[in-house]
Amino acid sequence: MEPTVANIGYNIYFFDFTMILLGIASVAYLVGLYGDKPSISRVGTWICVLAALSSFVALGLRWVESYQMGIGRIPVTNLYESLVFFAWSVILFHLFVERKYESLVFGAFVIPIAFVTMLFAHFYGGGGAITPLNPALQSYWLHAHVITCFVGYAAFAVSAGIAVMYLLKARSEAAKQTTGVICMFPAAKALDELVYRAIIWGFPFLTAGIITGAAWANYAWGTYWSWDPKETWSLIVWLVYAAFLHARITRGWHGRRAAILSIVGFLSTIMCYLGVNLFLAGLHSYGGG
Amino acid sequence: MVDEKRAQSPIDRVWDFLISLKLAITVLILLASASIFGTVIEQGRPDKAAQIYEDWLINIFNKTSMFDMYHSWWFLGLMFLFTLNLTCCTLDRLPRVLKVVRNPKTIFDEAFEKSLSLAGRWRKKGSMAEWTGKCTAALTASFAAPRITNDGDAVHLYAEKGVISRFGVYITHLSIIFIFLGAIIGNMIGYKGFLGLPIGDSVQFVPVRNGSELKDVGFRVRCNNFWVEYYRDQFGNPTGQPKEYASDLSIVENGQVILKKKIVVNDPLRYKGVWFYQSSYGEDKPAARMLLRRADNSAPPETFHLLFQRGEAYGVPGMGIVRLLDFQDNFEGKGPAIQVQIEKEGRQPVPMWLPSADPELDRRRGDAYVLSLQGVEQVTWTGLQVAHDPGVNIVWVGCTLMVIGIMIAFFMSHQRVWIRLSPAAEGKIDVAVGGAATRNRLAFEKNFEKIQGELKELQS
Ligand code: HEM
Repeated sequence: MEPTVANIGYNIYFFDFTMILLGIASVAYLVGLYGDKPSISRVGTWICVLAALSSFVALGLRWVESYQMGIGRIPVTNLYESLVFFAWSVILFHLFVERKYESLVFGAFVIPIAFVTMLFAHFYGGGGAITPLNPALQSYWLHAHVITCFVGYAAFAVSAGIAVMYLLKARSEAAKQTTGVICMFPAAKALDELVYRAIIWGFPFLTAGIITGAAWANYAWGTYWSWDPKETWSLIVWLVYAAFLHARITRGWHGRRAAILSIVGFLSTIMCYLGVNLFLAGLHSYGGG
Repeated sequence: MVDEKRAQSPIDRVWDFLISLKLAITVLILLASASIFGTVIEQGRPDKAAQIYEDWLINIFNKTSMFDMYHSWWFLGLMFLFTLNLTCCTLDRLPRVLKVVRNPKTIFDEAFEKSLSLAGRWRKKGSMAEWTGKCTAALTASFAAPRITNDGDAVHLYAEKGVISRFGVYITHLSIIFIFLGAIIGNMIGYKGFLGLPIGDSVQFVPVRNGSELKDVGFRVRCNNFWVEYYRDQFGNPTGQPKEYASDLSIVENGQVILKKKIVVNDPLRYKGVWFYQSSYGEDKPAARMLLRRADNSAPPETFHLLFQRGEAYGVPGMGIVRLLDFQDNFEGKGPAIQVQIEKEGRQPVPMWLPSADPELDRRRGDAYVLSLQGVEQVTWTGLQVAHDPGVNIVWVGCTLMVIGIMIAFFMSHQRVWIRLSPAAEGKIDVAVGGAATRNRLAFEKNFEKIQGELKELQS
């Protein structure tokens, strides 16, 4: 349904600012990594912090502005908003991992994901208009559902970024390389563990996201599961990560195969999140907006 | 340990296959891949597929139930294999875990000590009794109260925390069984239907299975009123996009209004396990206004509407189901008429025309009820989704268990600390400590170092 009340507020400038910051941070991280200049990566970190703040302000402002427009609602209800919320979650998650594991190399693999997401939101997000909610979306379950899902997605994005690093590092370790960028990565074993740790955060959130979605569907129209394409794709994502978790505890499925499953999992996440709206028919509202 | 001979027998080979994690991973990936088909091939719409795919492909789709894939034998078969795998795996492992939990390793012998990566040793002055007491107190304060075991002249202390984390996985797996069970119960004895209920009408029979069947819900539901509110543009004019729509419903049982509620999307009405959800509406739609009388006039007449839509039907207790077949504006020059058939158990339904000009025509059927057409008018109806799902609470129990189970499995850890005290020469005591954790070893390592430090500093 095309919305007839379309409003664009000041929040959009903050989002564009966030996008630019993420672009700069991506470059800083990449230059820092390839030029072997941790000080530049450190700058990337600070720009990321700034981007997280700016995104936070933008989301808050958008929330306020939606009330000023008389259609007050949480800013996670259309394609644009879900993208920017996802990017914000990725930044926060990334900063957490970076701080906890004290390595500046992750940024080069994770922050570009957030940047591309913001670019996508900017160009394909329907101009960032604040659209009114149809009655089916007016529920507190919406908040719980969307937030849990996107935090899960963000964790998977971080995991997939690290999984790519793992694959590069494992190959380099196998070839006994001693020079080059990849040697600065943490050890393959540590990366393998991080791929897993990120999923350990993502999986409960995705599980909660699917359950709150089911609860909401049941409360809104009396069926908790209807094999709608979006639901089914979230189940596919969930199954891939369940396979990952069991692969991890099986001999011989550590490392490489687990990393590949993490990447496949994230690709399915993207399909679930964007592909379903772009290619498949269903109940969910993103994509129209 | 599986000894060679046992593993050879076919039954054991099947069992080993059924409990294997490899099967679990394979089935998970197969289920994920198979589910993709159902999202690409629109379910329940072979007509759409016919425009996209070649005939031979459609043929294959039909043979493999691709248009109702999630209920096809092969998909349900995969689900069954998955459940079997999960059940067998649990039956295989849970007893062992229970054994480990019930009979923990309380003896901290040297071989075991060597196998731990977290361990330390030192020597202290004092007596066994004194150090047993000191170590017990210290361990209780900084970790957990230990069990004390005497073994020869040595004393072993064993303390543990978070033993429940061993069960996180099983709680998670059990939750899946719960969800399946709830879904199966819901599918077997529950029902779902859609009801287009005009303002002022009340019904007791709800169309299920796309209207092919009418279900008696056991009471009547009446639509007293219905509203739509639209979003407004900056000039205050309605935009046509609905902001909220609502119905005022009553539940009527034995002629008495039992319950009255205004429902909106996301706020349903529930009575006797049947839920009525606001789901859609129709404004100013044509409908036949029907009059229902007792042939002997023993009760006041009632009216109801038949919407002009395919499969429209209305159930009357004791009379049967009135199904709308056709409508004509001017039937044989006598004005509007509708064609209906009355479906009653054990009787062949016969189509008949009811012209509004002849309200007594239906007396010829010889039934206790006489049906007639009063006229055609525009009505507004509320679209209600009706559901009765006796399995849904089991599903929610499963979902809750799943979240709890996953949290326990991922974020809790079974942490164990052992201390061995053994007499050494010159009235001294040898102290050996060791620790192990099932997860999050880094955090445990720090904790262990702290405990060990405190123990070391104890003086006699
Ligand atoms: C989608 C379905 C499933 C979910 C959500 C699930 C969930 C989990 C979780 C969260 C863990 C803990 C993983 C970890 O500690 O890293 C686990 C472990 C495990 N799962 Fe599953 N599981 C599923 C299906 C299965 C199936 C079908 C089997 C059948 C063999 C299975 C067998 C196991 C085993 C053997 C473990 C390891 C237990 C241990 O560490 O002692 N799982 N599962």
